[in-house]
Parts: sequence; structure tokens; C-alpha cells
Amino acid sequence: MSLASIAPASVTPAGTNPAPALTGQGVALAFGGIKVLQGLDVTFRAGEITGLIGPNGAGKTSLFNCLTGAYRPTGGTIHYGTAPLDGLSPAERARKGIVRSFQTVALCPDLTVAENVMMGLARDYRAGWASAFLPLARGRRERAAMMDGAMAALTTLGLERTASAYPGALPPGTQRLVEIARAIAGKPSVLLLDEPAAGLNTAETRELTRALRRLAAPDLVMVVVEHDMDLVMSICDRITVLNFGTIVASGAPDAIRRDPDVQRIYLGTEDD
Amino acid sequence: MNAVLDSLAFDLFPLVWSGIVTGCLYALGALGLVMIFKCSRVVNFSHGNVAGFAAFLVYGFTSGLLLAVSWGVAVLLAAVFIVAIAFLTYALISPLIQTSDLTATIATLGVGLIVQGATLLLFGADIVSLDLPVPRFATSVLGLRITGYDLTVLSVAVVTIGALFLVIDFTKLGIAFRAISSNAFAAEVCGLNLARVQVFAWSVAAGLGVIGALLIVPTTFLSATTVAAFMLQAFAAAVIGGFASLPGSLIGGILIGILMNLFTFYVSPEYASTFLLVVILAALNVFPNGILAPVRGSRV
Amino acid sequence: MSDALASPAAALPVPPGRVLARGATVLLVMGLAALPFAVQGSWIYALGITFANAVAVLSVSVLVRYGGEVSIGHGFFAAVGAYTVAIMEQRLGVSLLVSLPVGVALGVVSGIAFAWPSRNISGIYLAVSTMALALALPELINNAASFTGGYQGLYVAEPLVPGLSMSLQRYYVPLAALVLVALALGQFRRSRQGMAMLLVRTHPAAADAFGTPRVWARVAVMGISCGVAALAGCVLAFASSTVSPSGFTLWTSIFFLVGSVVSVYGLSLPRALVGGAFLTLVPQLLSASGAWIPVMYGVALLAVILAGHFLPRLSARIRRQGGTA
Repeated sequence: MSLASIAPASVTPAGTNPAPALTGQGVALAFGGIKVLQGLDVTFRAGEITGLIGPNGAGKTSLFNCLTGAYRPTGGTIHYGTAPLDGLSPAERARKGIVRSFQTVALCPDLTVAENVMMGLARDYRAGWASAFLPLARGRRERAAMMDGAMAALTTLGLERTASAYPGALPPGTQRLVEIARAIAGKPSVLLLDEPAAGLNTAETRELTRALRRLAAPDLVMVVVEHDMDLVMSICDRITVLNFGTIVASGAPDAIRRDPDVQRIYLGTEDD
Repeated sequence: MNAVLDSLAFDLFPLVWSGIVTGCLYALGALGLVMIFKCSRVVNFSHGNVAGFAAFLVYGFTSGLLLAVSWGVAVLLAAVFIVAIAFLTYALISPLIQTSDLTATIATLGVGLIVQGATLLLFGADIVSLDLPVPRFATSVLGLRITGYDLTVLSVAVVTIGALFLVIDFTKLGIAFRAISSNAFAAEVCGLNLARVQVFAWSVAAGLGVIGALLIVPTTFLSATTVAAFMLQAFAAAVIGGFASLPGSLIGGILIGILMNLFTFYVSPEYASTFLLVVILAALNVFPNGILAPVRGSRV
Repeated sequence: MSDALASPAAALPVPPGRVLARGATVLLVMGLAALPFAVQGSWIYALGITFANAVAVLSVSVLVRYGGEVSIGHGFFAAVGAYTVAIMEQRLGVSLLVSLPVGVALGVVSGIAFAWPSRNISGIYLAVSTMALALALPELINNAASFTGGYQGLYVAEPLVPGLSMSLQRYYVPLAALVLVALALGQFRRSRQGMAMLLVRTHPAAADAFGTPRVWARVAVMGISCGVAALAGCVLAFASSTVSPSGFTLWTSIFFLVGSVVSVYGLSLPRALVGGAFLTLVPQLLSASGAWIPVMYGVALLAVILAGHFLPRLSARIRRQGGTA
């Protein structure tokens, strides 16, 4: 039933979607004896926003952490396109364009908003130690280019006015948006968003929804772990539902909404 | 070949024996450091200075410099002073711990500086001798010379450490201490009084330092710097134990005692501190979580 | 879409407060540069040492600010610089011009070599192992007496600029070093590497997720900090004209940290100067009773830390009460 709906990448007609996808085969994770992920097969396609949902403890964040490299899976492999990612640290994955946002605000309070966002592009720049300490043209050019990239990302989210403020001076919702600006600043090929709407008010969530829709691009793999069902249903092209470390259902939002298994899990837990 | 065997019998065993004896003292110092670290997340850099001050107080109380009382009374008085200092230190530092344990750790250096200065002001920079009222005898067991001092140190260490472990394992305070050191937040939510347990740990740590300082002084002499330098061995022992394990630091102390003895005898007494540095760095690489830590699966 | 924005970097104005502070610093440096023409003798010597100590204070502050680490062994790295200058002068007859870059390079290398073993573990281990380093230093110096001159130490007398008064050089060289280090650190704060280190210090996982591994930051910050410490040692040797093991004990390292705390870990020139002056001038004023120095330092250390902890809370409370009244 539900497994049938996970379309393998080869089913997609050749040529319609040439950009690589993020795939996991048999991804398993166990802490001690507790099996958190029981051998998941997942495909996150480029050009789509995939929602990853499920009740608390379903394994969403664990899968997320396996994809970003924060956890090392106990089984299975993860590929981006044809390149295996297994064993790569988060930093190494970041250099391949696979970036994430954080559930809790992880901005440096000593850096301005613009500077924090600049760190999202740092991996693309190479100015050496000499320009770190001396006023050389190369370092100045690098900073200007990073600043341009950061401002572009901030503008996408309507945050350009906060650029020279320090994160501590901003409301929590805005800090979360800055966090997302940092994730998109480096023009990632895979963007993993960990509960981007947590702590946002309605207006901010609307702004975020708009921004995420605008971000979707044919060559971008976007995965969103989220509790806000309205947000997930409105922006995602495809939704994967996890429960007890297995995939319960996967498909278009409408199909998921109608899926009896999903209804049982969700309505059941909502009632608790 | 025979010479090697002879040297083993005549040098190695006595070296290991006396290493174990001094190692117990390093362990006493290390246990104090670890107790404070476990419940307050602070490395107490004033530990050595405070313990040295205690030894000087005992000297001052017995020699007539400050008072002229019997040794037992002097130790008791000194212990009262030292626990008071530990309490004051804790009171100063506890507000800092919540914001930054690094700042709190630096603050202990400030306390150490003040205590060091007080020692210099009260007792001067000269070397004094302070003896222990221990039975003076020496006997030979299997070619090993065992002195009254050795037996005193061993028995005091065994009794102290045994009592400490009993308290931590079986009393209410000890259980609270273990709860707080494994998860301070959860323990506090459950209604445990964090401050009370921390005061307990700081006072006991100070007491252990005093005992260690008094027992180590007869092997060397007493100056404003000896005990503080002795504490480097205690730090090394704590590092070997992973800084969060009481049994680990006990083993670390004895290991340091033996290693130091072997090194100073067979290699060079002039590079003792350098050797300790190498031991610390090696321990950090070989068992970063302490000698007793199980090899855990990597979570990257 | 980024094309639509015509370099907004240029559009961001520099806050007026910073302009004012920069102007005040320039005036301060100009005043210090003119000072030898106003005061004489021993003050000039003490101020030269003050500047060298201020550089050492900066080296500790860099480690605290960018690494979130505490070192009580920076005397070791200062000694690396100081002895490089002294030994190169004695053996090769070269001046600071040649020996200073060598000393700084050795400082960076030894800092990295030292940080490597503790690269994966929390900051307290660095504090403990640097303490061991500081305690090992005097015995290392004394046992390499043929190189270091043992207890006696070595003289540093080779002028940097031949022909110019040596006492003036002992003032201006440390001053120039302090100004250059402060400027370089100002530059560093805006650099990619500097910002990455700040992010690693506060959110290592986030930095990792954006391509900056924690280990890189830990090792690199020690390299920089120890390089600055070695530079401080070089100019300290030059300014004081002598190096000896008594100048590089555990206390030296602890005092550098005290200076850094007293300057509130400031990386600007005036703040570093406060720390350096505290380290140099307090002992001068208390020279009658040496035992008061550790007491003074300890009290100052605690006072600054407690003030830094309680003052913001206190003022926030007063502000809140003022708001309700």
C-alpha cells in the first residue's frame, strides 16, 4: 500500500528532472538497543518541496540528522545524485551544498545579522590568512561579495532592514527567519529545514511560506520537517509520513490527507 | 641479566611501593577536584593554594607563630578555616556558574591568588618544616622497607576514600550528589537542593585537600609553593580519570604516583613537570573520557 | 536576483560611536608617541614593558573571545618568542628584524602543536594542560642552560635601528607592536575566518553545518593566540633587555590572564593598555611588599568578574523600576 507510493527515481521519465535527488536506502539508526529508524528508503527530488511529518518520536529528527551527517546511521546508505555521502561530516556535506537550518536559534550574538548570514556563504570563499589580518584588496573584495550574497538572502525574506542589527535585538520570530536566510544564502543544492515555523507568529509564518515557495527551484532539493500542518500542506509538493521509524505513507498532500493510516495516526495523537 | 633482575628487586618494587603511597595523596587531591567539577562544572584552581594554606595554618598553630596548641587541635582549627574558605569561594562563584563555567573557573584563580598572597603575608616566603605525629618505625617485608609514614598515609587514605565512597553511595546527601552530577537540571526540577549538595562537595573537597597537604608535607618541606605544585599531580590524576569519575581519579592518582617515581629514578628528576605535561597530553589522546570510560559508539 | 541589489555593503553606515572611539584611539596613540619628549627615564622603560605586556594580554583575550578557552600557560609561548630573540642574537648576532618573524612563527607552530591533543575535548582540559605547560617551562629553560643561559638568562642588546637611542627603541618598538597587533585584530574581526571562529564558539553545530569544522577553529585560534603571545615575548625581551626563567613562571601566565580579565577581554588598544598597565604598574607601586601583588591581582580579578556579572543585572533592574515608577 504505502510503500507502492514511494516512486523510485527511475520511474520518473528521463529528461523531465535532470537535477540530482537526495536518496536514502535502508537508512537505519539505533541508540543502544532502541531502533529509531528501521531501514528507510527515501527519495527527495529536486524541484520539489518534501514535507517530513509524523508524531513526536516518529524519527523525523533522527532521519534529518542522518541526512545532515550529525548522526552516523547504523545501516543503509545516503546518496546525493550518484555521490555517496556516508561518513562525511556536516562540514564536508555543507561544502557539497547540503545545508540545514536549526530548530533552536543558532545565530552568533557577537556577529551582526548580515555577518551571521554571510557565514552561510563562507564555504565558497578562499581568501587566505594574510587577508584575514592585513587590509588587502582580496579580503575586502571577499567581504563585499559575501555581504552582497547575504543582503540578497535577507531581501528574499524581507529582512534587509535588520542587516546591521545584532540578533539579540530582534524578536525570536525574526531570528528564525535570519536563520533561514543563512541557510539559503549559499545557494544550496539541498536545503533541509528543521521546523522552520517553530516560534513564528501568524504573520511571520505567512512571510516564511511565501519565501519558501519563492525559493523552490528546479535544481533544489528541499526537505521540511514541520509540525504546522497548514504550512506543510500549503507548500509541499510531496509529503512523507513517519511513525515508529518506518514510512507510513508518501505522496502528494491531497493523497496524504485522505490516507486512512495517516488519519489514524494523526487524529489519534491529536486527540491525546 | 642478573644485574637487571637485581635492579628490579632493589629498585623497582620499592619505587612502585612508594609510588602507591604518594599516589594515594595525589588521589586525595584529585578526588576533591573531581567532586567540585562533577557538581559545579568548575575546575577549582585554588585547590592547591587553599590546601597549602591549611598546612601553613597547622604549622602556625603548633609552632607558636599564631598559637601554640596541640597538633590535633591545630588540625581541627585549620579544617574549620579551610571549610570556611571553601564556603566563601562557593558563595562567590555559584552565581557565576549559571552564566559561564569558564568565568567561574577563572574566578577560582582569583581566590587562589588571594590565598597565595595571604600565605605569603602571614608566613613569608621561607621554607619551614612541618612534621606529622606518626609512629616512627621501619620494617622490612620481602626486601621492601615499609615505614610508619607509609602505613599512616595508606591507612588514612583508605579510611578517607572508603568513607567518602560510602557517603556517596548510601547517604541521602551522597545520592543527591550523584543525581546532581549526572543531570543538575533534572535533579533540581525533582526538588533536590542544588546549593546544599554543592556546599557539601566543596567542603568535602577542601577537607580532602587538607588531609592530602598534611600528609605530603613530611616528604618534602613546606613553602608557599610546594603544595600548589603538588596539586599538578592531582590535576594529572583527575585528567587520567576523565575529570568526572571518582574511582577513575583514584586509579589516576596511584598511576601518577608510580609513573612519577619510575620516571624520576630511571630517566631524570629534572624534567618531572615536563613528564607530567606529557602524561596529561597522552592521557587526553588515549582515553579522552577517562581511563574507566567505556568505549562508546561514535555519534560523530 | 542579487544583481538587482547594487552592492548594499557600501550602503551600510559606520555607527557614529565607533567613529568617535576610533578618533580617541588615534589621539591616544599620538599622545603615547609624543610622551618620550615629555617624561624621562624610568617611566619610559616601564611604559615600554607596559606595551609589551598589553600585547601579551591581547593574546589571552583573543583566545577567550574567539575560542571561548582559557589558558594559564601563555607565558610558555611568550617565552618561545623571548628566547628566540635572545638566542638568535647571541648565536647569530641578528637583531629583532630577523628574530621577531622567526619567534612569531615558532609561537604559532608550538601553539598548534599544543592545541592538537585537546582538539576534541572541552575547554577545561586546555586550561589544565596549559597549567602543566607553564609549570614545565622553568625546568625546560634551566635544563637547556647552554642555549638559554639557565638561571642567569641572556641579554638582548642588539638595536633594531642602529644609531638610534636604545632607550627610545625600547619604548617605540613595543608601542609599534601593540598598535599593529590591535589593528590586525580589528581586521581579523571582519574576516571570514574571524567570523567563523565566533560562530564556532557560540554554536559549533551550526558552524559545522555551514562548512567550518570545530577542530579547525580550536586549533587555528590557538595558533593565532600563541603567535601573538610569542610576538609579545619578542618585544618584552627587547624592551626589558634581558630574558631569564624567573620572568616566565606559572605566575607570569596567570598574570597575563589577570590582565586579560581586567581589560574585560578587550581586543582594542585602549583596553589592552589597561591590562598591560595593570600588570606593569601595580607591581611597581607595590614593590615595597611583594606579597600584596597576588592579593591585589586576585581581588581585581574577582572584582571585575563579579562586576561583569552583577552590574548588567543591577542596571536592568534599576531601569525596570524606573520604568514602572
